[in-house]
Amino acid sequence: MSLSKLGLFYLSKNNLCSSSVAVRNYVDFQRRELSTSKVQFAKLAQEKKPDWNKAVTEAEKIVGYPTSFLSLRWLLSDEIANVALHLRKLVGSNHPLLKTAKEIIYNGKNNMQAWGLIVLLVSKAAGHSADTPDLEQDKAAGVLHSQRALAEVTEMIRTSHLVHKGLVNLQLQANVAEDLMFGNKIALLSGDYLLSNSCIELANLRNQEVVELMSSAVRDLAEAEFVGPRDKQNNALPARPRTDIVEYKQFTDKTLEPWVVSEALGDAVTEWTLRHVLNAGSLLGKSCQGTLKLAGHPVDLQEKGYLFGKHLALAWQACLDREPFLLDAKGSFSLVSAPVLFALQHDPNLYETIEKGFESVDDVDYDALKKVVLNGPGIEKTKDLQREHSKMALEMLNELPESDARNALANIIAAMQDL
Amino acid sequence: MASIGSSRICARVQEKLCQWGHSPIFKRHSPLIVRSKFGFHSLVKNVPETRNYSLNNVAAMASPVAGCVHPCIRPEIASTATSYSTMRTQQPGSLPEYQVDPYALLEDDLKDVYVYIREALKRNTYQKDLYEISTYYFDGHGKAIRPMVAILMARAINYHIYKEKSLLPSQREVAMISEMIHTASLVHDDVIDQSDFRRGKPSVNVMWNHKKVTMAGDFILAVASMMIARLRNNDVTLVLSQVVTDLVQGEFMQLGSKETENERFSHYLTKTYRKTASLIANSVKAVTMLAGADEQLSDISYQYGRNLGLAFQLVDDLLDFVSSSSQMGKPTAADLKLGLATAPVLFACEKFPELNPMIMRRFQEPGDVEKAFELVHKSRGLEQTQFLAKQHCQEAARLANLLQESPYQKGLIVAADYVLNRMK
Repeated sequence: MSLSKLGLFYLSKNNLCSSSVAVRNYVDFQRRELSTSKVQFAKLAQEKKPDWNKAVTEAEKIVGYPTSFLSLRWLLSDEIANVALHLRKLVGSNHPLLKTAKEIIYNGKNNMQAWGLIVLLVSKAAGHSADTPDLEQDKAAGVLHSQRALAEVTEMIRTSHLVHKGLVNLQLQANVAEDLMFGNKIALLSGDYLLSNSCIELANLRNQEVVELMSSAVRDLAEAEFVGPRDKQNNALPARPRTDIVEYKQFTDKTLEPWVVSEALGDAVTEWTLRHVLNAGSLLGKSCQGTLKLAGHPVDLQEKGYLFGKHLALAWQACLDREPFLLDAKGSFSLVSAPVLFALQHDPNLYETIEKGFESVDDVDYDALKKVVLNGPGIEKTKDLQREHSKMALEMLNELPESDARNALANIIAAMQDL
Repeated sequence: MASIGSSRICARVQEKLCQWGHSPIFKRHSPLIVRSKFGFHSLVKNVPETRNYSLNNVAAMASPVAGCVHPCIRPEIASTATSYSTMRTQQPGSLPEYQVDPYALLEDDLKDVYVYIREALKRNTYQKDLYEISTYYFDGHGKAIRPMVAILMARAINYHIYKEKSLLPSQREVAMISEMIHTASLVHDDVIDQSDFRRGKPSVNVMWNHKKVTMAGDFILAVASMMIARLRNNDVTLVLSQVVTDLVQGEFMQLGSKETENERFSHYLTKTYRKTASLIANSVKAVTMLAGADEQLSDISYQYGRNLGLAFQLVDDLLDFVSSSSQMGKPTAADLKLGLATAPVLFACEKFPELNPMIMRRFQEPGDVEKAFELVHKSRGLEQTQFLAKQHCQEAARLANLLQESPYQKGLIVAADYVLNRMK
């Protein structure tokens, strides 16, 4: 949800930018000849700081497919046609699945697709051996077919997780509304459908290390939904802030091992990192690692691929976490977002406000909490966090040779910074 | 585990001694003596027909209601179990020698399956909740039919190819994986069907919140996928991944479709294959491939598993109409209540066309479930379902007979028989 808002935000920002460009362009046009103004326009666009939409669109051109390659394939399958039919019954029921579906369909650009895109860009930036048989290559995009399949799997796994997360917990309600129950059924099955498709796609790669790696990413996503205290709808609440400082040792990134969760809770940075490595960083990191594995790159480069994906996902998350605290932003925000966790660390008494949400996160006084967060060090620290992860992602990127694809990735990171 | 094992054997013995009430003549088939190509094995073939029938007279007499219930209802085991076991000790030779009990035969292999699964899950999370939900059904109380068949097949095939009584670690893994995939789908089924009870205890969605249960299902599947990948065998991974896809597609088919009466039965069979048979068929195929078998042998395995799986589900659908809740560990007529028309109903339709509109509206109107239940019992639907299941079991036994004679190969034949005659 916040992702889609982000998309809209970027979109409107982009429109503003281009209209201001248009105004300047018009002024130019009054002064000069038509031909020179065109040159000028191009120059202006180049000087402009990279913005999100532009970064993504340019990046898409580099790997070929301009629109989400996933949505079409999905929509053509029988099962999904069936789901679409059933979804209609849900209209008006307020089931969160509708929201998820809407995001997938209408906001694919800024949401899901970017993940697959990043995997493809990493694939292209790293390249592959020149003696790869032609049949295995997607020459136009400059990646292997298997890498494109893996990018699809990344998106499918991510979407499946979001869809499964969108279930409503119905067991507490005595008289369960029929359509909510049906919505759950559809959400569960659609998620399973995507997951089972990724199983087959992965199996077809005929690379068991990649299958294992990606399966462990699915495991991590499931684990993410169990971290820390939860309200009745399984929404996450922060753990009680710790007063003692315990050093969390397990950020070694032995990528197939599960994470020791309990020890990480209570410390703002550690808890935040753990949560988002599990629900985002692991999948993107392992996908980047996997795609390098598919092209036969050395193990140490594969590991750098993992770190790149992980840090990028974390930087991304930090950026998303800041968004509800921007000047004109309204509404609620995640209680486990970085600004809140930092505010809690700063003033542990704030936990009383959080505790009101143990039944339902909706019971928390968001306006009051927001005020506290804005007045504390939370926002600045979140910015630092994002900067730090962006920096590490860029460092990893520098391991790859200079190329269009690499620049596109750097642009995406820069555009994120710019929010 | 030992006690569970022995109670299982007990249950099996009871089942073995139960016989259909509706076959009035008890023939004792004289076992075929077949000379094996080595010349020293005299073995018995054609097994489904040859069982201990002599006790059935007693069974019919012991059960006073036998004459007035529907022919397809089996004799109640509860009232007669003791007398059966006594009789068994009195007539130890009445069971032909080849009647190996697969559960007893594989006791050592099977006793740790659940322990290993729980360990595998434990290795993959440090979170208590997740561990508890995901291991909830791996408590050792399941029938473990999938691991049992997979290990039987693995050993039968190993003997067939290498004349060795062996089991590869990878084959044992597949047995575990098959149970894990099955359980992952059970966990999700519970959320979909909102069922309250399974295997005689509150189902997992009653105990924990639905989102966590859903995620736990994903978790089990993910761990199973990791185990599959660690086998490092491309073809086995493909075969087992197909199972996951089939399961989900089967579930989609169950959501409801508007097929015509003619298509309905094939739709039902396809759904049954995808939801049940595919898992058994592909896991026995996988263990066969791991043994290094050629395509022909893998196909025999696969077909064995497919037939066994179809029969298993047909019997399951039948039991939904005849068993009591306490026997099944879940409510009966559950399928009707979920709006599902299974084989007994579809067969009953031929005699009572008034079932058609009920099927179309998924037994939603008040009284539909009761009416359909009654009509099924009035029709020959249960017998016909039983007959179809029997045909599949016979085919499975025929295929098992193509393998080299061994206790495990015989076990495969008995397993087919077990599937047909099980009570729960």
